[in-house]
Amino acid sequence: MNRGELVPRRRWPAWFDVRGRHVSGWAFILNRLTGLGLVLYLIIHLWVLRLLTQGEARWNAFIALAKTPPFLVLDTILFFGIIYHALNGIRLTLVGLGIGVSAHKRMFWVLMGIGLVLFVLSTWGLWTMTK
Amino acid sequence: MSRQPWLEDAPPAYRGGDRWWLVQAITGILLLVLLAVHLIANHFIVEGGLRTYQDVVAYLSHPFVFVWEIVFLIVVTVHAALGVRSILLDLGPSPRVERIINGVLTLLAAAAISYGIWLSWVIRSQG
Repeated sequence: MNRGELVPRRRWPAWFDVRGRHVSGWAFILNRLTGLGLVLYLIIHLWVLRLLTQGEARWNAFIALAKTPPFLVLDTILFFGIIYHALNGIRLTLVGLGIGVSAHKRMFWVLMGIGLVLFVLSTWGLWTMTK
Repeated sequence: MSRQPWLEDAPPAYRGGDRWWLVQAITGILLLVLLAVHLIANHFIVEGGLRTYQDVVAYLSHPFVFVWEIVFLIVVTVHAALGVRSILLDLGPSPRVERIINGVLTLLAAAAISYGIWLSWVIRSQG
C-alpha cells in the first residue's frame, strides 16, 4: 500500500508554497508574514512598556534610545507592516464577505497605491519629528 | 468550505471553513480605528514622537483614554491570537493538537490582556 496516498502532505504550510502563485497568493503570504511580524512587535511592545513601572529615569532613557537611527529603521519596517497588513486586510475582509470579488485584484493595487502614500507620509513624519 | 470559492489561493482555514474567521474580520476592522487613534494620540501629535514619563501617566489617568487603550489591547490581542491560530491550523494538526493550540493561545491571550490591564493600572496610579 502506498503510504503517500493515505497520509496528507502536511510537511509545510500551504501558504508558504510559492509555486504557481498569482498576485493574490503573494498578497496572502505577505499578509501572514507581516502578521507574524506584528505579533512579535506586540509582544516586545508590551514587554518594553513595563519600564514605565520602573520610574521616570528608566523610561526617559528608553525614549532617548528609541529616537536613534537603528530604532527608526525598525519603526519604518513596522510602518510598512502595519500599513500593508491593514490595507490588504480590508481587501481580504471585503472579498471574504463576497464584496467586490470580481475586482479584487484591482482593489489590491488601488489599496497598495493608498498604502504607498501613507507609508511615505508616515515615514517622512517619523524621521523628521524625532530629530 | 465552498463559501468563498474565489479565494483559490487561500488555505482551508481561511476559506470560510472556520467560524472564527468573522471574529478575525470584525476585530481587524475595529483595529483600523483603534490603532489609528492609538498611533495619533501616542506618537503623531506628540512632540518628538514619544510621550515622556509624566506625559504617559497624565494621558492614562484620563478615564476615557484608559478604557480606550484597554479595549485596543483586548481587540489587538484577540486578532493576533486568531491570526497565529489560523497559521498553525494550516499545518493540519490532529483534532487533539488543535485543542491544545486553542487552549495555549487562549491562555497566552488572557495573560497578555491581564498583564496589559495591570500595567496600565499601575502606570495611571503613579499620577
